[in-house]
Amino acid sequence: MAAGLVLSACQRDGRTPLVIYSPHGRDLLALAERTFEAQRPDIDVRWLDMGSQDVLDRIRSERANPQADVWFGGPAMLFQRAVADSLLTPFTPSWAEHVPARSRGPNDLYVAAYETPAVIAYNTAALAPEQAPQDWEEVLTPRWRGQVVIRDPLASGTMRAIFGMAVLRSLRQTGDTAAGFVWLRRLDGQTREYVLNPALLHQKLIRQEGLISLWDLPDILIESSKGQPLGFTLPTSGTPVIEDAIALVRGTPHPEAARAFIEWVGSVAGQLLAAREVYRLPARQDLPADSLPDWVREVRARLVVEPMEWDRLATDGNAWMAYWDRNVRGRGARR
Amino acid sequence: MTRRPRGIALALVLAWLVVYPLALVTVDALRDQGAWSFAHVQAFVREPREWQALWASVWISVASVALAGAIGIPLAFVFERLEFPGRRLLGALVALPAVLPPLVGVIAFLFLYGESGFVARTVTRLFGLASAPWRLQGAGAILLVHAYSMYVYFYLFARAGLARVDRSMLEAAESLGAGRWDGLRRVTLPLLRPQLVAAALLTFMTSLGSFSAPYVFGGGFRVMTTQIVATKLNGDLGLAMVQTVALAAVALVGLAALRRTQGGRSVAVVGKGTAPAARELHQPLARWGAAVVGWAFAAVLLLPHATLVLVSFVPIGTWTTELFPPAYSLGNYGALLRDPERLRPLLNSVWMAAAATVGTVVLALWAGRLIVQRRAQFGRTIETLTTVPWAVPGTVLAIALATVFSARQPWIGRWVLVGTAAILPLAYLVRNLPITAGSVLAGFRQLDPSLDEAAASLGAGRTRTLVRVTMPILRPAILAGAALAFATALGDFVTSIVLYTFETRPISIEILGALRQFDLGTAAAYGVILMLISAAAMAVGTRR
Repeated sequence: MAAGLVLSACQRDGRTPLVIYSPHGRDLLALAERTFEAQRPDIDVRWLDMGSQDVLDRIRSERANPQADVWFGGPAMLFQRAVADSLLTPFTPSWAEHVPARSRGPNDLYVAAYETPAVIAYNTAALAPEQAPQDWEEVLTPRWRGQVVIRDPLASGTMRAIFGMAVLRSLRQTGDTAAGFVWLRRLDGQTREYVLNPALLHQKLIRQEGLISLWDLPDILIESSKGQPLGFTLPTSGTPVIEDAIALVRGTPHPEAARAFIEWVGSVAGQLLAAREVYRLPARQDLPADSLPDWVREVRARLVVEPMEWDRLATDGNAWMAYWDRNVRGRGARR
Repeated sequence: MTRRPRGIALALVLAWLVVYPLALVTVDALRDQGAWSFAHVQAFVREPREWQALWASVWISVASVALAGAIGIPLAFVFERLEFPGRRLLGALVALPAVLPPLVGVIAFLFLYGESGFVARTVTRLFGLASAPWRLQGAGAILLVHAYSMYVYFYLFARAGLARVDRSMLEAAESLGAGRWDGLRRVTLPLLRPQLVAAALLTFMTSLGSFSAPYVFGGGFRVMTTQIVATKLNGDLGLAMVQTVALAAVALVGLAALRRTQGGRSVAVVGKGTAPAARELHQPLARWGAAVVGWAFAAVLLLPHATLVLVSFVPIGTWTTELFPPAYSLGNYGALLRDPERLRPLLNSVWMAAAATVGTVVLALWAGRLIVQRRAQFGRTIETLTTVPWAVPGTVLAIALATVFSARQPWIGRWVLVGTAAILPLAYLVRNLPITAGSVLAGFRQLDPSLDEAAASLGAGRTRTLVRVTMPILRPAILAGAALAFATALGDFVTSIVLYTFETRPISIEILGALRQFDLGTAAAYGVILMLISAAAMAVGTRR
């Protein structure tokens, strides 16, 4: 025990520690740590990588003794729940005016830093781009029966958005949720497996245990840049674009360092770096087009944004997912 | 000091650590938006799927006990009673599933027996099949993992018990005309009963609270632990608490049932003789037959470990559809040892597990002395309290501790420990109390009370008796319990994920992080190191 205490004491080197909870993954976080620390040598960035739902749970349970300074990443609807539980502190970074108004929380309790579109992912070693499904409906064709692997939707903000889209579309078209759940039941019939975490999802896709998945754009781009045989299509009828927000945790021990970090994430340099190195679509709309990497321009040109009633999803999403979990999951094949 | 206040003190400490957090969870289950309400309970009772999940939890656990016992007990007899080439080494190897941390073990199973794992792909190629002949899913897969990881409880406990069975008793039975079978049934098994019940208890409770295996392999098959997490993730904390209480209630019933079979007549070993010597197999055929079967069995048991070692040498992202990974390097270990930030989780895990184990052993010895030797008034209460943590899924225990220790109200036993380095060792301590206390208490039960009296009559004080007489005799039981507790704490995942901080993040969290990054090689490398440390601890624990 003494060794442990001595060790943790040695770690303190006079720099201000800044603790970040984030689902963004090692690539982005290590990059942010390196770059931001070079700019602010007095700050020691420490990040913990976890699911966005876990971030919310942890911040909630640490309320009495907050450990995190910044919550970096996750769909805005999760941040809304944190707002409802008074877990965040308002902060308006100087770049907030450059993101769309819909991407800012009440009183700027959170602001979107990136936009994360959902995509249809496929294994490029097994399928040519034109063979892959081009839209959500095509995923339901008999060709893909038993070929779809899906990240466990209860744990994932991305999957909740995609499933929510199906129900919201049904509400818009028929005034009722029933058609949406019929759609999800058909999807369940196509699904080979619900997967524990993104890593296993990638692995199953790469190892061709399934050929198709519904997932987010940056993960697929990062994996494919590492040489993995993964590709994506942007659904032609529209796809949910998640606002990946950032926020200051209430009661943070180091508010000044936290604000500086949030400022940096949304700065022109920070946004361009994330876009170039780790495939994040900037939330800022004022960045000069010619300084953005090619893939951003391509994606923005082809991206059809699904109009999502995010507030409705934030209020009813849990009930829909609970219904799906009880009455749809694993039952599609028994139609 | 008289014996009564001592019993009270320990009972209070245990109640504070074990019952108090659970009581707070129960209160949460019965509250809705700040008022008392049965709304969550009704939501639970009316849903047939909840009952199905609860039933699934129960029968999976019972089946796990049966399977683990069927593997572990015969193995213990073989390795304790027969002498054949490689017995010592094999005997240690057979305990190795205990050193595979739950999360890591499940992942290893996936690489091995999963649809695109080594075994499935080999079979597919051998028989020219179009696709994998099986899918590692559903109740069968869960039972496979449970049987594999939990027979060790039976094996270790039964061996510790067999080592303390007095040869003279067996000889007495023999001289009275009992055959080998009668000796087993009428002498050995009754003597082993405390150990076997303790092992059954651990297996039952571990299966009931098991999360990684049902989550990864369950598919549409739901058990209560996955149900709780799904509900909690979905934000319905009230219902999650009701589910928790329901699961805890089932566990407590199981606990009471098993405790009944343990109580009643207890059989003490008169501690004069020695354990029967292992029977040398003289017939060459039997001798080598035992060795071959033993090695074959050990090979199957070691496959997941081998898989893990193999994957730990795979550079990130090089293994896709090939039968075996195409490239190997030491890069994963290099990165891990060079980078102090990556090394830290390892050191964290070791000191936290060690601190927790020391605390657990102290409490277990205290309890054993009070319950068995001094027959303290609160003995039964204390023993029940030490077993209760198994009645609680790890996640829930962690949440309950986080609830208790997130407010500064010292007058009702609450301090802010959340976010400090103290909370994880404390959680490990509580969670491992049943393992250590189970083993130590079983050891105490086999102690001959006359030894204590003899020491006292020769003028030895209480401490002297404890150190010079009780502890040496108890050593196998203490070491076995402590080693299991240490290994469990070292690889703990479900409790840690709720309570860790940046400063205290343990190795399992780092493995999860690596898995999230698709960095399977690094995750496996951490897993291998974890496995080696656990193996060292277990080697100490099973040495006599």
